[in-house]
Amino acid sequence: MRPAKLLFLALVLALLAGVPAAQAAAPKRIVALTPFSANTLAGLGVKPVGIGETPGDNERRASNLKGVKKLTLSHPNGPNMEELALLNPQLAFSSPTWAKGAKTMRDLGIKVVNADPVDVAGTVTQTTMIGKVVERESSAQQLAQRLKDQIAAARKSIRKHPRTLVVLGVGRTPFVLLPNSWGGDVVRKAGARLITAGVTSSSGFARISDETILKANPDVIIAIPHANSDDIPEVTKYLRNNPAWEDSRAVRNDKLFVSTDNSLLQANTNVADVIRKVRRVYLKN
Amino acid sequence: MRRTAVVVVLVVAVVAGLTASLALGAVDIPLQTVIDALTGNADPGPLRKIVLDLRLPRTVEAVAVGAALGVAGALLQGALANPLASPDVIGVTGGAGFGAVLILIVFPGSIALLPVGALFFGLLAAGIVFAIAWAGPNAGGPGRLILAGIAIAALFGAGMTSILVAYPDRVQSALFFIAGGLTSDGWSDLKVVWPYFAVGFAIAIALARPLDRLALGDDVAASLGARPRMIRLLSGVGAALLAAAAASLAGLLGFLGLVVPHAVRLASGTSSHTYVLPVSALGGSALLLAGDTLARTVRAPIEMPVGPFMVVIGVPLFLFLLRRAV
Amino acid sequence: MTESTTPAAPALEARDVRVEIGDKTILHAADLTLEAGRLVAVVGPNGAGKSTLARAVAGMQKTAAGAIHWMGDDLGGLRGRKLALRRAFVPQRARVPDGLTVTEAVRIGRSPHLKPLQRPTRRDNEVVAAAMERTGVTQFAERKLTTLSGGELQRVQIAVALAQDAPVLMADEPTSHLDLGATVAVAKLLRGLADEGLAVMLVAHDLSLAAAVADTVVVMSAGRTVAAGPPLDTLTHERLEQVWGVDASVKAAGHHTALHVAWLGGAADHGDAS
Repeated sequence: MRPAKLLFLALVLALLAGVPAAQAAAPKRIVALTPFSANTLAGLGVKPVGIGETPGDNERRASNLKGVKKLTLSHPNGPNMEELALLNPQLAFSSPTWAKGAKTMRDLGIKVVNADPVDVAGTVTQTTMIGKVVERESSAQQLAQRLKDQIAAARKSIRKHPRTLVVLGVGRTPFVLLPNSWGGDVVRKAGARLITAGVTSSSGFARISDETILKANPDVIIAIPHANSDDIPEVTKYLRNNPAWEDSRAVRNDKLFVSTDNSLLQANTNVADVIRKVRRVYLKN
Repeated sequence: MRRTAVVVVLVVAVVAGLTASLALGAVDIPLQTVIDALTGNADPGPLRKIVLDLRLPRTVEAVAVGAALGVAGALLQGALANPLASPDVIGVTGGAGFGAVLILIVFPGSIALLPVGALFFGLLAAGIVFAIAWAGPNAGGPGRLILAGIAIAALFGAGMTSILVAYPDRVQSALFFIAGGLTSDGWSDLKVVWPYFAVGFAIAIALARPLDRLALGDDVAASLGARPRMIRLLSGVGAALLAAAAASLAGLLGFLGLVVPHAVRLASGTSSHTYVLPVSALGGSALLLAGDTLARTVRAPIEMPVGPFMVVIGVPLFLFLLRRAV
Repeated sequence: MTESTTPAAPALEARDVRVEIGDKTILHAADLTLEAGRLVAVVGPNGAGKSTLARAVAGMQKTAAGAIHWMGDDLGGLRGRKLALRRAFVPQRARVPDGLTVTEAVRIGRSPHLKPLQRPTRRDNEVVAAAMERTGVTQFAERKLTTLSGGELQRVQIAVALAQDAPVLMADEPTSHLDLGATVAVAKLLRGLADEGLAVMLVAHDLSLAAAVADTVVVMSAGRTVAAGPPLDTLTHERLEQVWGVDASVKAAGHHTALHVAWLGGAADHGDAS
């Protein structure tokens, strides 16, 4: 009887092993339109067939993503649909910014999943989520844990909590980054007390009047203009002369900083490094 | 005859435009593959998908939108006896812009409703304009219609600008729509708006001869048993349907509706609506096909808005015709 | 003249027509009769309601009261095409659109005879050609309307009305803005059309013209028809004084009709003993 029992067991095991294989296989051809999703996939050892890139992009990308086809992103659809279709992907990691394009992608038979965190905690949860979608759950668990540890380490021993204003320069009208924006959350996690004057907005950005800024008198101002890194001195000088800001503690104590990279605007996997930089350079805590 | 020559030239232009629109794009596809895809002989795969699901619906949209705007402009210029009349004048463009921006910026989660929003508000604006124009003294007169149109267009335009100012960080997504242009969205939008195109074109066909009766003035039209006010109202309705449907697909495309009928009249030398209406459809399609193909290929893979390209093609042509006419 | 046949119904019979626009009464009670082969001239001072009467009986102006019958049929029951087949109206100043040739314009006159998507038939083209011939505008056939003089344009307008092929032709002050030569041409044309059997109605300012071409003159004053009859019997010195308030009279001699006017005032003003 024993060989028969063994055979029976083997058959059952074989069937059980075959069942997951019979289910929908993990998507093979994946496009990662956001830097966070691209780098996370790289961290999971999954190579996408295409990654998104905005014009003038200076995003940090994992080295094993070199050579992957870059899809230029522009409003309103995101990537060029023909180029995307040519890659014949089964799955695209996208962002709500490209919602219009998501509709077309779905019509083309591509599954669309948003993977663009808007807060620091989101980087951990979305790492796990991506892992689940591409069926690398155990790798993702490890990656997520590592990320969690890195973030915790970056936040150790915060000594000061300066009152900070983070401003996005859109033309001549600046927008305040609120706690529910990526940059706002990063700066808060770095220990700052964000000045918002009680304004809320679902988008995470709001125009507040210069009078409010004057009254609030921040200790630190972080400005993110639309400019290149070589323009920083010029822009800093211009912003320093803004009448609403020139008498603030921040300007008088030389704590007006200009950031020209995307690190406070766009979520990425190097969030722990960004927190560290904010602490070291801007908040000095 | 000049009239035949103009038709021949435009038909050739449309055919060339169709070919270019299907054969050219961000991805290089050999012409034979394009033909195979269209005739059902191509192997399934991304290239076939690009031709059938991205380029073909877009080409059809370009033809429909170009024809619709050309005909809408011709209808209004004939009905209002005013060479400056265009779909913008009856408030449709302003309303459609407001509706689209409302969805794009305030309710971005409902993005699938974009064509519906543009269509609804475009027709609403036109409806308000007609209601104002047909009430009170001098009801149905062209002057009243134009003034009401300008006022309502301004109202909805202000609404649109207010939304943009209230959500300035989302302005980018609306910019493309405002500049005017087609996007490779597949067939889903066309499925929603095709009935409005159909009804609008049907009204235009029915009004071709009646509009000629308005040519010598309302009194002569009445003498002939025509009803000038009814003709004007129906022209407005037809133009509104066509322009609202066009705006829901292609954003706020100005210029075409105003200039194409004039160009047709200048080139052919006739103002008869039985000629000008269909030929404006041809001219509009040709211009938009050319403009859209350029907009898609000039800086590929980035897609530019169509408006500037149409203007670059259309304005020199128009100025040339104008000089010869004078 | 045999009296055995009952006379045919007049082309137009209008009695006690009343027109109100807003809260103003423009026509109180006006009468008008038009018959085939006769030319009726409606005259009166500005504001008397001449144009209003013409438009009202033509079905182009709403009436508050009155009995209007076209060939025996009540106007209320006649709409659109049916009415267009009974009368053609030539307005005082029609639009002159760009890009339209004379032939194209006259063709527009055929529209009541064309079914919706029907192409013009040979008969339609013949009528158009005949209308242009009759009004002497065939030489301008391919010219654009915008290149014609006032007199030529007016004749084209009449051609459009003739193309309509209706038994009644109504013209609202067709010569008011024309020079002498053009006025004479139009006068001859209208009289000729009446002689050929059309019922012609003419709203006119020019009393000597009216007297010369008309079989019947209808005088209007302050929204009422105050007199109707043969020209010289109706446009008497007393009537002209009563209605226009001027010292004038109409005189006919041979082929010439003239209006004699005391331009600088009558005998009473100059203190002459008459």
